[in-house]
Amino acid sequence: MLVGMLPRLRSSTRLLRKLCGLETAAPAAAVRRISPADDASSLLHPLPGLELPPCLPDNLDRSPTRITTLSNGIRIATEDVPGPSACIGFFVDSGSVYESGETTGVSHLLEKMAFKDTKYRAHRNIINELELAGGSVGATCSREQMVYSYDTLKAYMPEAIEILVDCVRNPLFLPEEVERQLALAREEVQDLQKNPEKFIHEQLNLVGFSGALANPLIAPEDALARINDKIIKKFYHENFTADRVVLAASGVDHEHLLGYADFLLNDWHKGSSVEKPKSTYVGGDSRLRADSDMTHVALAFEVPGGWLQERDATIVTVIQTLMGGGGSFSSGGPGKGMHSRLYLRVLNEYHSVQSFSAFSNVFDNSGLFGIYLTTPSGFVRKAVDIAIREMIAVATPGEVTEIELQRAKNSTISSVLMNLESRVIVAEDIGRQLLTYGCRKPIDHFLQCMDEITLDDIAAFARKMLSSKPTLVSWGDVDKVPPYEFVCKRLR
Amino acid sequence: MAFRRILSTAVRRRSAVAAAAAGNAREASTAVASAPGVVAPDATPVRAPVMPYDRIAEAVNARLRRLEHPDPRFLRYANPVPSHADHTAILAAPETRVTTLPNGLRVATESSLAARTATVGVWIDAGSRYENEEAAGVAHFVEHMLFKGTGKRSAAQLEQEIEDMGGHLNAYTSREQTTYYAKVLDKDVPRAMEVLADILQNSNLDQARIERERDVILREMEEVEGQSEEVIFDHLHATAFQYTSLGRPILGTADNVKSITKEDLENYIATHYTAPRMVITAAGNVKHEDIVEQAKKLFNKLSTDPTTTNMLVAKGPASFTGSEVRIIDDDMPLAQFAVAFNGASWVDPDSVALMVMQSMLGSWNKSAGGGKHMGSELVQRAAINDIAESVMAFNTNYKDTGLFGVYAVAKADCLDDLAFAIMHEMSKLSYRVTEDDVIRARNQLKSSIQLHLDGSTAVVEDIGRQLLTYGRRIPIPELFARIDAVDASTVKRVANRFIFDQDVAIAAMGPIQGLPDYNWFRRRTYMLRY
Repeated sequence: MLVGMLPRLRSSTRLLRKLCGLETAAPAAAVRRISPADDASSLLHPLPGLELPPCLPDNLDRSPTRITTLSNGIRIATEDVPGPSACIGFFVDSGSVYESGETTGVSHLLEKMAFKDTKYRAHRNIINELELAGGSVGATCSREQMVYSYDTLKAYMPEAIEILVDCVRNPLFLPEEVERQLALAREEVQDLQKNPEKFIHEQLNLVGFSGALANPLIAPEDALARINDKIIKKFYHENFTADRVVLAASGVDHEHLLGYADFLLNDWHKGSSVEKPKSTYVGGDSRLRADSDMTHVALAFEVPGGWLQERDATIVTVIQTLMGGGGSFSSGGPGKGMHSRLYLRVLNEYHSVQSFSAFSNVFDNSGLFGIYLTTPSGFVRKAVDIAIREMIAVATPGEVTEIELQRAKNSTISSVLMNLESRVIVAEDIGRQLLTYGCRKPIDHFLQCMDEITLDDIAAFARKMLSSKPTLVSWGDVDKVPPYEFVCKRLR
Repeated sequence: MAFRRILSTAVRRRSAVAAAAAGNAREASTAVASAPGVVAPDATPVRAPVMPYDRIAEAVNARLRRLEHPDPRFLRYANPVPSHADHTAILAAPETRVTTLPNGLRVATESSLAARTATVGVWIDAGSRYENEEAAGVAHFVEHMLFKGTGKRSAAQLEQEIEDMGGHLNAYTSREQTTYYAKVLDKDVPRAMEVLADILQNSNLDQARIERERDVILREMEEVEGQSEEVIFDHLHATAFQYTSLGRPILGTADNVKSITKEDLENYIATHYTAPRMVITAAGNVKHEDIVEQAKKLFNKLSTDPTTTNMLVAKGPASFTGSEVRIIDDDMPLAQFAVAFNGASWVDPDSVALMVMQSMLGSWNKSAGGGKHMGSELVQRAAINDIAESVMAFNTNYKDTGLFGVYAVAKADCLDDLAFAIMHEMSKLSYRVTEDDVIRARNQLKSSIQLHLDGSTAVVEDIGRQLLTYGRRIPIPELFARIDAVDASTVKRVANRFIFDQDVAIAAMGPIQGLPDYNWFRRRTYMLRY
């Protein structure tokens, strides 16, 4: 309807113009207009009488990361970044892996209950105070970590620290608010079926692992029916304990932050030490039939070791860039991986493939690596076959060239360094590294690690991944996706 | 003793009376509050039987007490009243250096030598509004073609060169500006500059490539047409700036894209990609002198035509027409519309006040939540009455005009309420503005400007845009001073200039049978009461 409307609209515009002869009338109108450039207060001219502070030097450096552990075990880490703004965040070693039985799905709710009523501030006051400073807050929950962050101007730091601490330390979880968020979560869960990408990434873990990592991150409906404020409070009290909390900040002076935060945090309750729940990779098959022209498939394998095997994690990152891929139609110029293997060998060859890319979900002790593809349902059999072929190719010595490896390394290095330009990402990097490694590794350590990777490392690690049982998740016309046994056989 | 007994029976009777009058909550609570006051000195606990409602009252009172006497530790800085914060400590910034080369090309940089990456870009004072009518879409077509090979490197070589160094090369075209930029590791800056100079000056515009690119652009049009927000704003421009070049969509029309020739492309580049209308910007680990030297060496083939965009704009000015376009489509699940007034140009001193007003109206969407507590009354109305999926105030500036208004998405049966809320809140800016709201909006505006500058690409973008629009980079202290100069009376004055009894432009799409007619909107730009 809309498409039909457009040309009609345009042609009538053109016709009207001819009739009215407005083209000749227009310049006359311009003469009457007073040029804003003549106005002394125009933005073209500096404001008269305003004294500017002296410019900062060009070589402002970031200070190294400083970490202080409070008496109750809370770690406070900062990296002072020049500039007018700062980002602070709470990183908590909690997430869906710590759920069990009745607490299943609670992390999802905790994310939604963030920045709501606390013991000292009503929800309304929190929003008011946040709006007055104009910063932005956010809470995200992943399988192993929970993040609350606040990005604002340095001038508002004391307020920002106080309100962030209050929101993380003193939440009330009022029953009526919990009910409201449960209703919202229910809508989200129903939408999940319609969102193939989200569905597949959730399902990959459910099928691929057994144990803690197989816990759902998006609360299933039966869990939503069970969860109430008491269960949330219990989970919160057990998991949000001082020794599992990191306060990380970028753009804040360490002493300055300690001065404010120590006072608010030093009596946070300590918990009994908790073992990280174990999980094992099992692999498997899961399909959801949906009415759609497109079929989405993810084929994944285990990344043994996870983040804690740093060298292997680095290799996985490089393999992911090396394989690359993307959408058949996407915006952006060179640099988005147009010369990655999946782009050159798949997207440029088979035009019916809509998207084809390598992905990785890495956790502390394990992870998943594989290919995510979207194709018209008729082509899906072939596409899965190509995905298997590409995985095997990377694992075959001599297939990947030195040039490709160098390109992948350069892209990975530059994307890491480019990301670290952002103070928000710096704060996140500090927090997550502290939770995973217990310290912040200097970036040069990572670059060094990257530099040492050879073609043999790539092939060897890819073989190691392929030796695990595959995880196959699909959405759409799933009958056309090859059977799981067939995929296993092809991989052998 | 007898006296005390009389007293306590009196108390018991009083609370019995209070309980009987339970219908009036306030009276009951004062009775309860005064009762212990009388008994206090040394009363023995003579208690009325405890009833369930007593327990509820006690729980409520306990909560109230906690709220009234909270732990001061967590409330040292809590302040619900908007106030002005002192930013002087953070306003100093690294210097933005600008050099104008003999051919008119400007080079502007901001260095942060500790970084290991950099962004370099070329900002051009040219866009779709300067096209000829017959070749509408050529500005965007050129942007596509410049990545398709030069005398020195083919398209594939260009792609590979950038990918090999792990860089990113990107470009975009808007109505008034065109941008090409590269984001690279610091050591690759000279090469990135060389690539930018090469594609801008030596592109082949190969005929076969042009043919192939037509399909790509047509496909891109389809994508844009799928994004309803883009479509609404294209329609809004088309109706508000009808009969002027600003009203045309950036991508041009499908017919034009099919018919644009190599000559059109060459003409456009020759007329508009001139040295005085370009700015080379760089940020990150770059030295100003190095960039200037390189720019001198590399950008030497540009035309030095002194025509400025001010001349072009004077020749073909944009004029705002109060008008509307409605596309009724009952198959769409949600209706959306944008209402806009003629706004301010980039350099208009009142454009700062409009930015503050945009921030006062605010933006919100249903999934973000918390709307009923937000400061903006427009958002409150939308959220509390549940009459919108999202509302967003916008303020777009151009060389000689602008658009200021609100874009909203809603269910079909809420459109009249939502239209009322939007028009009421906008025209209220001419009548009733509180200082608190203005301070809050100013703080939010200042924060969002600063928080956005996160990383070298955002900085380069800011420098490039400001040099093209203001001819200089406005120092942050000056910008903050201009924002702080906006108070309630300024807002009212500026609203009187742009909103009070002014024509509106409306673009609406979807199930919009319930959207009030044009005269209804026009009537609500003023109020006949105070």
